[in-house]
Amino acid sequence: MKKLSVAGLVLMLICGMLAGCSWQQTSATGEDKNNVKLWVPFSGPDGPKFEEIVRSYNKSQKKYNVDLQIIPSSEYYKMVNLTLSSKNNLPDLMIMHADRIVDYATKDQLLKTSILTKSKKISAKDYHPKALQASKVNGSTYGIPLDIHPLMFYWNKDLFKKAGLDPNKPPKNAQEFREYAKKLTVPEKSQYGFAVPTVGTQPFLFQTILAQKGGKLYSDGHFNYTSKEALNTLNFERDLIYKDKVSPSGLAIDGDLKLFLQGKNAMHFNGPWMLAQFEDSGMNYGVAPVPQIGEKQQKVWANSHNFVIPKKKEGEKLGAITDFLNYVGNHGMAWAESGQAPASKAVYTSKAFQKLNQQPKVAESFDFAEYPPQVENWGQVSEFLNQEINLVLLGKKDSKKALKDAQRKAEQYLE
Amino acid sequence: MCVLQETKFSKFTSFLFVLPYLVVFVAFLLIPLIFGAYISFHDWDLLSSTHKFVGFGNYAKLFDPSTYFHSVFMNGLWNTIKFVIFSVPILIVGGLLLALLVQHLPDKLKGIFRSIFFISYAISVSVIAVLWLWLLDTNSGLFNHLLAKLGAAPVQWLTSMPYAWISIVAATVWWTVGFNMIIYINALNEVPDELYEAGSVDGATPWQKFWSITLPSIRPVMVFTIVTSTIASFNIYGQPYLMTRGGPGTSTKVLLMEIVDQAFVQRQLGIASAMAIVMAIIMIVISIIQFRLTRNNEGNEA
Repeated sequence: MKKLSVAGLVLMLICGMLAGCSWQQTSATGEDKNNVKLWVPFSGPDGPKFEEIVRSYNKSQKKYNVDLQIIPSSEYYKMVNLTLSSKNNLPDLMIMHADRIVDYATKDQLLKTSILTKSKKISAKDYHPKALQASKVNGSTYGIPLDIHPLMFYWNKDLFKKAGLDPNKPPKNAQEFREYAKKLTVPEKSQYGFAVPTVGTQPFLFQTILAQKGGKLYSDGHFNYTSKEALNTLNFERDLIYKDKVSPSGLAIDGDLKLFLQGKNAMHFNGPWMLAQFEDSGMNYGVAPVPQIGEKQQKVWANSHNFVIPKKKEGEKLGAITDFLNYVGNHGMAWAESGQAPASKAVYTSKAFQKLNQQPKVAESFDFAEYPPQVENWGQVSEFLNQEINLVLLGKKDSKKALKDAQRKAEQYLE
Repeated sequence: MCVLQETKFSKFTSFLFVLPYLVVFVAFLLIPLIFGAYISFHDWDLLSSTHKFVGFGNYAKLFDPSTYFHSVFMNGLWNTIKFVIFSVPILIVGGLLLALLVQHLPDKLKGIFRSIFFISYAISVSVIAVLWLWLLDTNSGLFNHLLAKLGAAPVQWLTSMPYAWISIVAATVWWTVGFNMIIYINALNEVPDELYEAGSVDGATPWQKFWSITLPSIRPVMVFTIVTSTIASFNIYGQPYLMTRGGPGTSTKVLLMEIVDQAFVQRQLGIASAMAIVMAIIMIVISIIQFRLTRNNEGNEA
């Protein structure tokens, strides 16, 4: 990447656009209509699980064929943007995160999924309402949810035992959480009760506690980065590091995760996608929905993978898409094996699913899932806040001043 | 007559030799560059079907202190310049020192050490970043582990200043200094032995030989490495992106990170292109100044 020159950047754009002027002039013939090109960003260990679903679908019937393309997750939205911009070689169906849908729906790039649910083969009732709600922009639904991935709570059972705590009882509220964290901290062994992340998963944790305190980052067209709840949340996290000293200070990227994997961090927040890695590590860990740290209500940060249909000039292949999505809704168990919990009721209420270790606990969190606010370019707008939180947790800035600066930057950005 | 035809023919054949490069240059550098400049004059949202012409509007935004774009651009540019200032002298001096070291090794060991110092250059940046992350991690990193063994306090290598810069520069130097070293080794081999022999006859100390014979002889190569190292350092992206995410806060967020953000996260190609063009202009100006300065020096000496 060091060699990525300015010209190279522009070059990538051109390639995307020039690709538009060439080949791919096929019109939708009968044969072609039944072939669905599907894009997914599952380049991690979840990829083979998803491939399994597609393969079994293609085997299950003869009429349609799904042509799966796995795009590296770091390149995924870059590809999506460039392809939507050139309108060429567009996939027929693709995966999109719930908090991104608003960006594309407001630019009229996506088809409303009400057209699918009309066919009766897929019904909105088949999915968890929270996931459907999250893909709704201005009253219309734009996605069929694959899963809901809330932040999860992981703990090291061996360390719990050593500290005299019940290894099968995770903390339930702020008081217990703090108390456990203190008991689990052994400075001589550089063992910590709860290493507070400073980047990476930090925004998920912050938004979880904030929502539990009843705070909102954005409401009625305004940012509330300086709210009382936001300040309390930030101070709570900061105090864990500098007052209670249950966390090391100055953690680097994934520092909390590394400590957890090394058995030097007793409690850890991360997504359900970590399952494979924790299993492989061979450690004795427990998993549960997040404790309710905020005093007001149980909430947890969550996001979803959705199937969305990009608008195409030559028309969309609705018959094939409906058939495939119907199949995924009923045969999504393979996806659960990646650690995720599918949002389709047929799967997450099934007996086979409930027998799994972590996944039913992920599904338990569905009802109190809190999605990021629906703001265009949320990734960027929230970045202002994340950068300031980072400074506070690294002990470089006063929390009140930091939140004020984040608010100012976000407002300036929207101008 | 015959002679004239021959030159025409030879001109044609020379053109043929240049042609492949020319085609690639035009297709992958010149056209994108012109197109990039074209985009920079528009309000170019990647997902909108219409792109409004705004003239120098995007450039004006970059230089208007009240806008968000000004603050990210200036922050990115300043951080990039800092990195250039920190890294280039080390890359130049370090490369030369390594080259001298390898030169003075016994012949049997030369090849081995040349490979050892150069091999890191062949590794991709993501591997470099992962490696250094494990070395530098505040709590589980090797460096702090060693410091603890010595009874010293741990250092927040990646999450505090100035250590974040030191870490990024160290990783970069370790990664790329071998390239400059190879170039210097070749340059040192080119220095005629007679000069050193003559120096010895006149009773010159090793230091005098280095200062009066080696350095002036490799000057053109030094100019080359200074210019290429500066350009490479200006294009820094992967190391801070992977090692610090631009933190603490935004203090190691470099210009290319901002440009990629604008172009592909926020899909604002117009402003991203304007940033890229300004960055390119700055790099061109700096390169010209570097060439000028070194040429003037040569003129003075002659």
